[in-house]
Amino acid sequence: MTVLDELTDGGRGSRSAAMDRGRSRPVWLLLPALVLLLAFFVYPVLTMAWRSVTDPVPGIGNFTWFFTEPANLRVLARTFTTSLWVTVIALVLSYPYAYAMTAAGPRGRAVLTLLVLVPFWTSLMVRTFAWQVLLQDTGVINKTLRLVGLGPLHLIRTETGVIIGMTQVLMPFLVLPLYAVLSGIDLRLVRAARSLGARPVVAFTRVYLPLSMPGVAAGTLMVFILSLGFYITPALLGSPTDALISQQIFTQVSGLLRWGRGGAMGVVLLIATLVLIGLVALAQRGPARRRSSS
Amino acid sequence: MREFPRRHQRGRPALGTAAALAVLALAAVAACGGPSSGAKDVDLGPGPAQVGTVKDGALKGVDMTFVSYGGIYQKGQQEAATDPFATASGATVVQDGPTDNAKIKAQVESNNVTWDVVDTGSVWADAQCDKLLMPLDYSIIDKSRIPAGLAGKCSVPAMQYGYVLAYNKTKFGADPPKGWADFFDTQRFPGKRALNGDPSDPEPGPYEAALLADGVAAAALYPLDAARAERKLGSIRPQLVFWKTGAESQQLLESGEVDMAMLWSGRAYGAIKNGAPYAVQWNQFLPVMDSLTVPKGVKSPKAAMALINYYLGAAQQAKLTELTTYSPVNTDARPQLDPLTTSFITTDKARQSQAVPVNTTWWAQNQDAMGQKWSDWLGG
Repeated sequence: MTVLDELTDGGRGSRSAAMDRGRSRPVWLLLPALVLLLAFFVYPVLTMAWRSVTDPVPGIGNFTWFFTEPANLRVLARTFTTSLWVTVIALVLSYPYAYAMTAAGPRGRAVLTLLVLVPFWTSLMVRTFAWQVLLQDTGVINKTLRLVGLGPLHLIRTETGVIIGMTQVLMPFLVLPLYAVLSGIDLRLVRAARSLGARPVVAFTRVYLPLSMPGVAAGTLMVFILSLGFYITPALLGSPTDALISQQIFTQVSGLLRWGRGGAMGVVLLIATLVLIGLVALAQRGPARRRSSS
Repeated sequence: MREFPRRHQRGRPALGTAAALAVLALAAVAACGGPSSGAKDVDLGPGPAQVGTVKDGALKGVDMTFVSYGGIYQKGQQEAATDPFATASGATVVQDGPTDNAKIKAQVESNNVTWDVVDTGSVWADAQCDKLLMPLDYSIIDKSRIPAGLAGKCSVPAMQYGYVLAYNKTKFGADPPKGWADFFDTQRFPGKRALNGDPSDPEPGPYEAALLADGVAAAALYPLDAARAERKLGSIRPQLVFWKTGAESQQLLESGEVDMAMLWSGRAYGAIKNGAPYAVQWNQFLPVMDSLTVPKGVKSPKAAMALINYYLGAAQQAKLTELTTYSPVNTDARPQLDPLTTSFITTDKARQSQAVPVNTTWWAQNQDAMGQKWSDWLGG
């Protein structure tokens, strides 16, 4: 099972792949989507990549610039650490939440699902502006803190504010794949472990947790990758002092009209992301092969 | 003017970039199709051009697009200049925006220019002269009433305003800051300061203020000593609150989050008018302006020039000032204003004597390098 299967169907890829083998595959159904992707994704990405090595002059000047300018490397590092924080916090919050969704009764589950989906369906802009109102020095959070004699906490225009906003915006991308996998785990296995003498902690770490890993991997990877290229939320909640790479790309493309440099930054981000997907895929294939060969 | 602009631009910056990429994607298609026809020869009448006028019905059937930064600014431009121009000339003038320099670049490079007259920053206009922007035809545009030195090869001013120091009257009213040196003096004037923190828009402002505060004479500012300015800016970094949009700078005053601010005069005006307890120290203010430009490859350059000539008329400029509070760029313009708005007019003689002129030409020549420095410094 590959990571991409999990991203698309929450870890049930192998089953559907098996079913596919038994039927004819109407590949032409993919054609409209393929044309759309080619025109509006592949072509622009290739144009951008082409520009990164041709604009303003042919060569790797844009990349040398990127890797020799200390400010760029700081921004790249900051982008990765911020994304990591967002992913870790989102995982810590989402795992118990997704578990609660599986454990709840039908009505409880409907409510919990709705609580995830409503913000998910709400415009990103609206949610970010809501956070702006909440996080301001004179905002709801600080007003409440003042009532109990605390604060003010500086949240807007700080990295903390950015992480808070991004985590909330991206959490559904973790909760939903996690729920898909957790709900498929056969709880009798956990009970079997308990009946064989495992303490609850051991039953969780040795049985339940490993079985949930495909969901964890798919969700965290998705959140991390989306974080790397996030634009609106960090731009509105953060200060220019903690700009992420997407904001720097905007500066190059829209402000300074250095499309070659913007393209190079985009290519660096794209390659970093692909490498990451590759590493996770490798890490997953490792244990899977060991399991199947033992 | 970066006021209404930013409010819009910030609202949808990603869209700007996405749109630029989409334009790129469609460039090939557009190139095959070629620019649509409509480049007809227009007759603007005999004799020398006269500012604020256009020959009746000279542009019947011509479609034009006027691009600016939206908000009440563009509404004012529409009501004061482009709508009456359309009525008089017979042209159809459509409004579009906000101005996005990347879109201009995409249009010019794909040879599919749909923006005829664009309101943009003066430094950028100067830097792109003969590159993305075409030289203006001063046989159609009468520049005799534009304040001296403001009409360039590829741009005329769209209006003027100032980069000013605003301070909290309640806190510093007894002993107000006298200039940029006091903005940087956190001993005598403790408290937070708001400063422009938009890395995508390098323009005159923070560097000049820092150097003036550090003792550089107004006449010796250029070429800017960027390293020295950054050291000075760095000395008050913990006290700085960066704003990225005009709206944000105004909001920082209205919520009282900062005790001093370096911001655009229109935004200081907005905050004061809304009752924020601030006053402006006009000493050492930096006069800045927006520019009207014509991208290379417009379908009808003559029509674009005619619109600009009309826009610059005294009556049009007076009305624009009345509608937007920005200062007129026609020396004959006599807007009717209340006392507060009058005090924000940067073009009168007394006010001009307090100004430290900025060197737009130097900025245009060094925009690339300064843009990188500014973005690096901001990124810490």
